[in-house]
Amino acid sequence: MKQSTFALWFFGCLAVALVAGYGGHAWSVAHVRRWTGRPELGFTTCTHCHVATESLAWSKPRARHPAPAGLAVSPDGKKAYIALDEMNEVVEAELGSRQVTRRLAVPGRPFGLVLDQEGEHLYITCRDADRVVAVDARSFKELESVAVGSAPVAIACAATPEGERLVVANSLSDNLSVLSASPLKELARPQSGREPYAVAIARDGTVAFAANRLAVPENYLAPANSELTLVDPRSGKMLIRGTFASAHLAEGVATVPQRSWAITPLIKVRNLVPITQVANGWVMSCGLAISDHRGNIIQMPLDEAHDYFADPSGIAVDPAGKRAYIASGGSDRLTVVDLDRLAAWLEKASPGARREAIEDLTLSSEYVIARIPTGRNPRQVVISPDSKWVLISERLDDGVLIIDTATLKPAGRIALGDGGSGDPIRRGERVFTDAKYTYQRQFSCRSCHPDGHVDGLSYDFDGDGIGDNLLDNRSLQGVAGTGPFKWIGKNPTLAIQCGIRFARVLMRTDPIPPRELDDLSHFLNSQPPPRWERKQHADLTPQQERGKRIFFATMTTTGKTIPRERQCHTCHRPPLYSNRLSSSVGTKGPHDTTDMFDTPHLLGVAFTAPYLHDGRAKTLEELWTTYQTNDLHGVTSYFNKHQLNDLVEYLKTL
Amino acid sequence: MKFRKIINPRPLWAATVAACALLMSAGRGVGETTTEGLPFPIIERFENFGHDQGIPAHKVHVVLKTSDSKLWIGTWDGLCVREENGKFKRYGPEDGLTHKMVLCMVEDPKTGDLWIGTMRGLNKFSGGKITRYVQTDSGLPNNVVYGVDVADDKLWVATAAGAGVMDLKTGAWKIYDHTNSNMHEPWCYSIKGAKDVVFIGVWGGGILEHNPQLGTFKAYHDPDGDFHYDLVPDDGPINDITSWIAWKDGVLWQNTYFGMSRYDGKYWKTWVQDKSPLPSNFTQFAWPVGKYCWIGTDRSATVTDGTYWANYMLGDKGESILEIHRPKQAAEKRILPTGICNAFVLGIWADENEAWFATANGLSHGIFSPRPSVPKVAAAK
Repeated sequence: MKQSTFALWFFGCLAVALVAGYGGHAWSVAHVRRWTGRPELGFTTCTHCHVATESLAWSKPRARHPAPAGLAVSPDGKKAYIALDEMNEVVEAELGSRQVTRRLAVPGRPFGLVLDQEGEHLYITCRDADRVVAVDARSFKELESVAVGSAPVAIACAATPEGERLVVANSLSDNLSVLSASPLKELARPQSGREPYAVAIARDGTVAFAANRLAVPENYLAPANSELTLVDPRSGKMLIRGTFASAHLAEGVATVPQRSWAITPLIKVRNLVPITQVANGWVMSCGLAISDHRGNIIQMPLDEAHDYFADPSGIAVDPAGKRAYIASGGSDRLTVVDLDRLAAWLEKASPGARREAIEDLTLSSEYVIARIPTGRNPRQVVISPDSKWVLISERLDDGVLIIDTATLKPAGRIALGDGGSGDPIRRGERVFTDAKYTYQRQFSCRSCHPDGHVDGLSYDFDGDGIGDNLLDNRSLQGVAGTGPFKWIGKNPTLAIQCGIRFARVLMRTDPIPPRELDDLSHFLNSQPPPRWERKQHADLTPQQERGKRIFFATMTTTGKTIPRERQCHTCHRPPLYSNRLSSSVGTKGPHDTTDMFDTPHLLGVAFTAPYLHDGRAKTLEELWTTYQTNDLHGVTSYFNKHQLNDLVEYLKTL
Repeated sequence: MKFRKIINPRPLWAATVAACALLMSAGRGVGETTTEGLPFPIIERFENFGHDQGIPAHKVHVVLKTSDSKLWIGTWDGLCVREENGKFKRYGPEDGLTHKMVLCMVEDPKTGDLWIGTMRGLNKFSGGKITRYVQTDSGLPNNVVYGVDVADDKLWVATAAGAGVMDLKTGAWKIYDHTNSNMHEPWCYSIKGAKDVVFIGVWGGGILEHNPQLGTFKAYHDPDGDFHYDLVPDDGPINDITSWIAWKDGVLWQNTYFGMSRYDGKYWKTWVQDKSPLPSNFTQFAWPVGKYCWIGTDRSATVTDGTYWANYMLGDKGESILEIHRPKQAAEKRILPTGICNAFVLGIWADENEAWFATANGLSHGIFSPRPSVPKVAAAK
């Protein structure tokens, strides 16, 4: 080819490419401006709006691991029952041989377990099926089941004068199901606090305690209080709503019969101070809440001044009421508390000293008698009826550790799987739940994102040390594909969001190493929105259909056109219900430096209260009543109460 | 004459009548034991409560005794519960109540939660804590909550802008008003769950019967259509201005400011003051107990089964008057040792053993006369 011909061909192609490129760019910019209604926008990638959920990590099949959830031990102390929620299985294991002897398929993510007093019936909560299943412990076959509230995670059983009763914690519907065991039926469904996660019944059957994980949103500028709900297991009637003052994430509860106590491990949280002020447990520390049967609560520290035992979860108390065993999921430790010593300190302490006890991290040495290392992420604890053995679920090692209570040393282990170390998602979950990445192991990612979700609080993330600029905690469930991250949309990827900057402003220690950060991203991206599978197959009610029409409306009911940029679905564009762009919706607060905030995705929005960037709106309704400004957050001023309710009911389906 | 002086024949006659009545009543069976031949208990005296006992306002709108035997009152200035020492403990907006003026209350029979309607919002008193619901942060139709009821795990409210229902299991709200039902206008005064249906008392709209399963509405209007007079008795609701409704054991009671009515599912019965023992057409509250019903009017606390009547009123000098009306007999008038604290009765709670009255000037406790013991043989018959 002659040089001139080549040059002609080359420059011709270049010209075509330039024209096509420029034209394409111009077209794409015009396209974005047209469909967002925002003329100031420049080039925006196609994936801001055009996303297929099938391409997202959380919608793809992932490895399932035999991670132990609920535990139970037979009355003779010979058998253990273990719920494997990811595998949809419950297994029976011999404590003597440490071997799994029988398996039972239980669909619907079996999570909580309890045996009746005789050990004849095993009751299982199915977290994704919203049911409690009764199993004959002898034949290991399902007998019957009953519908309960949403996402039941824990169950307790007790004999009462009115018959055997079961109390179930329904974590997503914020209520309890009180069941009679024979016949297996629901008697009442009293409302609890937010996300009830653990239940225990006093031995005399007169009161059931339900520990709630999250605080009910009230005033985002006030300390968050969560709840210990006391109900009568005989009737299901509400007795007392106790308060965990400025504390939350209660994931376990156990009763102490000799003292008429219920003990709940929890996190003492101070979200209103600058999140950088982590020294001395100033932002987060762990404790035990001791409640009497009238709901009077004293909080005692579980941590030590320079060593923390993050994410306390399960608790078991021996039948004699002498010791409590508490699993700390973030620090891989089992803490043993001498209850006689604890009671002695409480007895001699003044009312003021009791009130301030949780602030004094030196106190734990008065009653903590051992810290026993465990495998990764110990969560549930159960004690054999003869008090000889304590069983701890090592959730991220796929095993159950057995501790000899006489020596307080490991006596064996029930291996359920290989630990799944070859799976980057499993490795990422270990990073997510491990407190070793934070200053003095004070907290883990999970401390603010239980199950990858929200803790319902707003935190001061500004480094100015003033503590008056709150940012609402956002869910990590369904987070894949929704970048950029942060409320101001500053971080393009999860690795950047969780990397060096996070270490500086939050963890106050070395950043998470790159390889582990990569695993963490894998785990976060694998988190589906809450109840995603169920929602895909659920039909909308007429009210939800009406709400859907409002969400996608282009005109008001009076026929007036809604500007494109103020139509709900423009910014909250399906399938993620976010166009991943920052917008101004008139919510700039007095301490905000910008009025442009990242458009949050709406998958699972019903469960992520409070709302707006600083968490000022405690309900969805408040977005368009109390905190709507000049129709900037969607044109809603034409709504009547019917339409607002319809829209809210539709949003709950996302 | 001597004989007359020694044995007064009038008490003797009265005793004979009472004995006959006792025998007649004995034949009714244990469940229908009566006082003085009446199908309802008779109050022999009142105990009254006011500022001295800790009630913060003279006007008591509503009274309710819950299943745990606690006595709750809703007043012009807060919610109160009677403590063991007899004093009333007050809860107001500073305790989390949405508004100080309490208008209505109901207990959830399953959970024991107390639902409280106020002039600004709905409240749940549960386990010692108050949870607030207002129209801007929940699906509540309107902040003015006149009536509230719980039936089948559903909470029903009558508000100034329609009736609302919250599913207590899911938290989802629905609203019914003039745009999606045959409600005359959205001003609802009262609401009552009644087995498979819900009755809604609508100001100016009579009564609506709503079937939640079918989503249907059936309206009951005053057939004669006259605002001031019941031109055709027993033809339907006495008036469309419904001030209150109550339902018990298949019988619906309607209060209006122009008389009252009863509907047993088949027949209507109406009463006005000129043609019945009803002391006043201005009726504003009904509390059925079995087959009889306590009525609050602007002049009395009244109890009736539709045939027998007892009116507790105050005379010009404040004397406590009990009028008993029996069919085809002259009214019997008695003076009681103590009277109701005010005859403008706004709310009532009663069972077979006692009655409580919320009035425009304090709270009254009606102490029932001892009931005749029923011979076992007669009862068995």
